[in-house]
Amino acid sequence: MSLQRLPASAHFLMNSPVAKTALCLLSGTFLLSACTDSGPEGPEIVEQELPSAHRTFKLVETSRERFRYQTRSGAGDAQAGSADSGAPRLVYDTPKGWSEGTKSMMRDINMTFGENGEGECYVARLPGAGGGLAANVNRWRGQMGAEPLTEGEIAALPQKALFGQPASFMSVDGDFTGMGGAGTKSDYRLLGVILSSDAGAVFVKMTGPRALVEANTKAFDQFVGSLDVSTGAPGS
Amino acid sequence: MAKKTIDWSPGNWPKLLFRFFTSFKLATIVLALMTVITLFGTLDQVDNGLHAAKVKYFHSFFVIHKLWGFPLLLPGGLLLMLVLFVNMTMGALIKVRKRWKGAGLLISHFGMLMLLAGGFITWAFSTDGYMALYPGMKSNRVESYRNWQLEIMPLDKDGKTEKAWILPSDELQSIRSDEQRTYQTGALPFEIVINGFSQNATPIPVSAPMAAEAEGKEIDGFKLSQQKASKEAEQNLPGCYVEFRPAEGDPIEAILWSGSFRFDPRENPMPFTFEVGDQKYGALLAKKSWTVPFEVKLDEFIFERHPGVSTARNYESRVTRFESDKPDTPLEIKMNEPMRYAGYTFFQESFGPSGSEPGDEMFSQFAVANNPADQWPLWSLVVTSIGLGIHFVIMLVTFTTRSKKAPANAAS
Repeated sequence: MSLQRLPASAHFLMNSPVAKTALCLLSGTFLLSACTDSGPEGPEIVEQELPSAHRTFKLVETSRERFRYQTRSGAGDAQAGSADSGAPRLVYDTPKGWSEGTKSMMRDINMTFGENGEGECYVARLPGAGGGLAANVNRWRGQMGAEPLTEGEIAALPQKALFGQPASFMSVDGDFTGMGGAGTKSDYRLLGVILSSDAGAVFVKMTGPRALVEANTKAFDQFVGSLDVSTGAPGS
Repeated sequence: MAKKTIDWSPGNWPKLLFRFFTSFKLATIVLALMTVITLFGTLDQVDNGLHAAKVKYFHSFFVIHKLWGFPLLLPGGLLLMLVLFVNMTMGALIKVRKRWKGAGLLISHFGMLMLLAGGFITWAFSTDGYMALYPGMKSNRVESYRNWQLEIMPLDKDGKTEKAWILPSDELQSIRSDEQRTYQTGALPFEIVINGFSQNATPIPVSAPMAAEAEGKEIDGFKLSQQKASKEAEQNLPGCYVEFRPAEGDPIEAILWSGSFRFDPRENPMPFTFEVGDQKYGALLAKKSWTVPFEVKLDEFIFERHPGVSTARNYESRVTRFESDKPDTPLEIKMNEPMRYAGYTFFQESFGPSGSEPGDEMFSQFAVANNPADQWPLWSLVVTSIGLGIHFVIMLVTFTTRSKKAPANAAS
């Protein structure tokens, strides 16, 4: 079949070098799109001169520093953070009847309350998303023997202000099995506030016998609301 | 009734192809599919964010969309726009009968083709990134919002270097979290093995309770916990397990996390350091960067807050542009008043650090865009409007002439 019956412009399309080039480019685009995966090995590493503003690096000794985990101060310090470094420190109001507990590597603030110190409230920070909101909410619910929440239910959790930003608040009753699974404590309540931000994640968690936690709910709100970061002189 | 038969012989293929690509039916189908893709892409944006939806639905040849759980294979925006471009070029510019009456439509179709071509040029050649500066800082370096690369550099004892070996972001970010890839270059005395790359991750100390749920190897007291990718792709902090295998000696393992790069323009990145032979090396996940052919110095950052609150009311930057062999140029960059120069546009984008209080020193962040087709949408709209205007005038004149002739004909 010849092209006799095609309009003259179609002949132009089939024969013109410009049109042929355009068609080649078009087909080349399709071929390129199929070649983006360069396979498991290849000479992809290229040497580059670094711009002057990107030639100095901070040498750190440990992964802890590299991953921005600040060194926690030891037990007995009044507040988290190194008191004499001038580095940002957590400041807060200690609710009436609460007392400072022993800090651990993962806890910036550790409080106990109740006659025998059976109520506990701590603050922990992690860089990045800290495991994610959903994973932490459901991990805490799991510790209380409660069913995990769906993503929609987690998104609908009420909010409380933590460091001036909206943070997710949860409350769950049940039988508490804490970290390490050291025995189950019946009729407990867990209150938790989780803040995920670009700078990291902050967790405030309170656990204790249900009646005791209920009596300390206002104190919990007061404590959460008082949390702040101070960059001023020690003691400020 | 005679049945239409189609001649499928190879000699007739050019004609069939021409007929196919110039048909109105094809244009209609493509436009209908573009509507569908736009709808699905817009809905997907709600769950997965703007960037992910753009890449999936509009920067692709094909897309699999799940509709009520059923996977649907659809043509992607790129394919549809290519087909529409070919269809309009062949149908509306080449095949169409050339006559004065059709001049307006011809011009307006040309305008629409300009719009499509501009979209293609933007997709293929434009770059966008940012530059963050504190007052007094000067730079020509633009960083990507979303693209991370692996940098390996020889370091002196003070952590300084002039060069690095780069595993480009396209390659690095194509590695799946369960995939291992090995790289080598003659310039480095070791192989580099990436053991899984996560688009969003957090290193978690093994002493933390959530570490129990993190998969992956423990290295130096940490595990890398994979996170769900953020809707805002620029908020993702990728991480990977990496192994450096020298020809002799034990392999060196590390977790690399993009959070070690920098959150503030004054910070120096913190690479993982190791020694092979007598040479100290650093390895780092760093943002892909490029330079512009001039330097920008931030002279002053003006930041005003609403009274009594920390919300910004207005912010603008006074900068000086430095270029070799040219006089220094002081100028202002404000919201809606960008600096356009040498093909680059600097927009006043944001500020930092986050949570800063009145009185704190703040940095200014500019969005830096380079798009050769930046003004094409405007030009194409102008061309299309002119074409439609001409068409309207031609139609009006034709109608008026015909109306005048009609009574005359009726009278005769």
